[in-house]
Amino acid sequence: MNGAFNRKVLFILGPVTGLVMFAAVVWMASQLMNREYREPYRVPSAAVDATPREGGLAAERADAETKARAKPYAEAEYRTFPIVGSRVAIWAVAELHLLFAAFVLAVPIFAFIIEVIGYKNGDPRYDRLAYEFTKLLSTSFSLTATFGAALTFMLIILYPKFTNYMMSVFSPTFLPYVLLFFAEAFFLYTYYYGWGKFHPLVHLGLGLGLNLVGTGIMMIANAWVTFMTSPAGVSDQGAVLSVRDAIFNYTWMPINIHRFIANIAFGGSVAGAYAAFKFLNAETDEERAHYDWMGYIGNFVAISAFLPLPFAGYYLAKEIYAFSQTLGLTMMGGAFSWLFIVQAVLIGNLFLAANYYLWLGMGRVEGFQPLQKFIKYLLVGITLCFAVWATPRSIIATVSELRAMGGGTHPILGYFGVMSAKNTAVNILILTTFMSFLLYRRTGKVATVAWAKMGHAAQLAIFAAAAIIVISLGVYGYFVEATVRIGLSVPQVGSVLFAMVSITAIDIFLFRGARKTGEVHWGRMPAISQYVLIFIAVTFTWLMGLMGYIRSGLRQHWHVYGVMRDTSVDAFTPTIGFATRVVSVTVLLFFLLIGFVFWLTSLHDRPDFVRQPKARLRPGSDDIPPEFAVAPGEP
Amino acid sequence: MVIPHTVRVGILVLAATGFYTYVGQMVPQKEVLPPQETVIRADLTTDDMVKVGQEIMNGKGLCFTCHTLGKTEGPFRFPDLSGVDARAKTREPGLSDVDYFAQTIYEPNAFIVPGFNPGMPVINKPPIGLTDQEILCVIAYLQTLGGTPTVTLQTSHHYYTPPGAPGAAPPGAPGAPGAAPAPAAASAPGAAPSAPPVAPGTAPAAPGTPPAPAAPAKGTR
Repeated sequence: MNGAFNRKVLFILGPVTGLVMFAAVVWMASQLMNREYREPYRVPSAAVDATPREGGLAAERADAETKARAKPYAEAEYRTFPIVGSRVAIWAVAELHLLFAAFVLAVPIFAFIIEVIGYKNGDPRYDRLAYEFTKLLSTSFSLTATFGAALTFMLIILYPKFTNYMMSVFSPTFLPYVLLFFAEAFFLYTYYYGWGKFHPLVHLGLGLGLNLVGTGIMMIANAWVTFMTSPAGVSDQGAVLSVRDAIFNYTWMPINIHRFIANIAFGGSVAGAYAAFKFLNAETDEERAHYDWMGYIGNFVAISAFLPLPFAGYYLAKEIYAFSQTLGLTMMGGAFSWLFIVQAVLIGNLFLAANYYLWLGMGRVEGFQPLQKFIKYLLVGITLCFAVWATPRSIIATVSELRAMGGGTHPILGYFGVMSAKNTAVNILILTTFMSFLLYRRTGKVATVAWAKMGHAAQLAIFAAAAIIVISLGVYGYFVEATVRIGLSVPQVGSVLFAMVSITAIDIFLFRGARKTGEVHWGRMPAISQYVLIFIAVTFTWLMGLMGYIRSGLRQHWHVYGVMRDTSVDAFTPTIGFATRVVSVTVLLFFLLIGFVFWLTSLHDRPDFVRQPKARLRPGSDDIPPEFAVAPGEP
Repeated sequence: MVIPHTVRVGILVLAATGFYTYVGQMVPQKEVLPPQETVIRADLTTDDMVKVGQEIMNGKGLCFTCHTLGKTEGPFRFPDLSGVDARAKTREPGLSDVDYFAQTIYEPNAFIVPGFNPGMPVINKPPIGLTDQEILCVIAYLQTLGGTPTVTLQTSHHYYTPPGAPGAAPPGAPGAPGAAPAPAAASAPGAAPSAPPVAPGTAPAAPGTPPAPAAPAKGTR
């Protein structure tokens, strides 16, 4: 009885939800319509007596009608969105579109790489893993397109003048964009549905095509958004001089690089969260082992892409300064500077969480104990760097505290709030996390090559040299002028990159044919490690939202910086508190939707629904449940 | 009671997002409004111009985003402006303080103070886009930093000649900034050409321009 009732409820749930959604759309449309001015109702003239008053009213109406007919067309500059306002509405939809787009662009990159590895080494696990990642794409692609369409329509409705201007500047790019979008859909669905149906090389070709087209789409969209920040190719009055220059503006290439890397980091983290979600709900050891491995790969992808991201960020910031010192200083020293303290908290958390996950991961490898002793040193290093990075230059304090300090800067902590200290801290953080990776990589292995001792010594020497260079230049930065200090970040970054590349290269040869001291037991991970993966995904998503706000909000009261001014009611720059609330709400919406994607994807693994037979058989038959049995004598 | 993992994940997402929102509330909160439009009245005295100039430098001009005033110890990203007028008089041979200031504003890369990198934007163009009159007010304020203000709204310099002054472009002609500069002779540093020297604070109203007594010295729209 209960089951039948539930089935009936489920049956009507679909149409009821549809009706409710339809009613909501009608209500929303009527709300929007009601905001428009309408003529008040008047009694039809035929129905009233022709009194002098009525004659006057009729003349008034005729006059109003004549005026209305003569009214020239005026293009609206702005329209308002109910309740939250136009800016917040566009902000949320654009961010959701970008988050899904980032995911859809990133997953094919590492799915393709994993598939290539599987093709090369012939291990079917890699193929299965790549397919598992790709399964997340189909729904995400639809959501990306939906939010993209919503964003376009909302821009046309709410910011018609600005949208019109952007269309006039970039009109030659829109058709190629649409064509690439079709190509993206073709490659994505053929790649997904064609899994195992074609020769592996043909399938890999589809994957490569998907990635190339996706990158092309991203680069076209980046041209639009970067033009808004650092316009080029237009006159002082905004007339188009060169579309090519408008595309190749100052920040276009840095954003292309930064987004490409950040998308991989973000996509890896969300895919890791999916694996964690599946791990937590897994029922067999085999499933746990698979999803543990998937989570590890997702996190590996995320952190590997995350490590070079600050360098791409330097490049972007450098180009922003090159375009306009005012814009650069607004970002780093003006209204937005405190956002970088919030960013430091986020990135510090990411580093801590990623390292913690790696340290927990050592537990799945037999013979991890000898390396455990290093963890406490790494933890101390990471915590110190985190603390330095999150130290603000000026401190929020009461008047008496400010007097006691002799200004807004703390006499000791103030030294940690400047760029020299922060550059040093982030470079050491990167080095330390890289060390954690290295420790994890060599857990359960012993190098057997003849030059093993020398190799270890060389690695240690390179690591120490990089750390010394970074710290020395950081200290030297306190004693030189800004012009010199800015340049010091280049050798700092260079030495860290050199250390990472050279130590990895040595490690590959060092552990070639290494002796295994223990097996890796995938799935042997505590549940908390999976929550760490989900925390990393939330933090990455929030970080993307925050950095997106900085990039876009930097223009302040300009739609197109220095070319088209924002004259709407939203032209002010909101408080950081308000911005973070908008980011948080959007992040929660994203996770609600990505949860839906995860659930839909997990339906793949669910066994098909089997309808219980309404058996018209006699009781006593072995395989018939009693409720389906027909009593003797019944028809 | 065992809490399902899905619920735990939901709580974790909410808690992490809530924590970052909380961090966002802990930092200083400031709403930045768009710069207010300045209306320069035609009969401003030099003293009025100094006040307007100071307000422009603090607001619309964004000058103190980069420059400092009264900072004695480095590091300096851009020159400190304390006593700048005294330096401006001798910074470039042949240029008065007014002409030097005008050059730094209209053509900032023409001369870079030793020890600093180029980076100052052209101030009379967007995004800052000060008008010629606003720039005169800024120059008046800069003159108070280590000197005595002398400019009036009738002061000419290499990049601007007020309407009605000798060498001024006829009404409706394209603007002068960045175009052919006025002859050096027409640029009497610190004083309005073809006008008697003006004592600070006693600048006369623009010839031919009726005063606008009802208009505020600085207004907004």
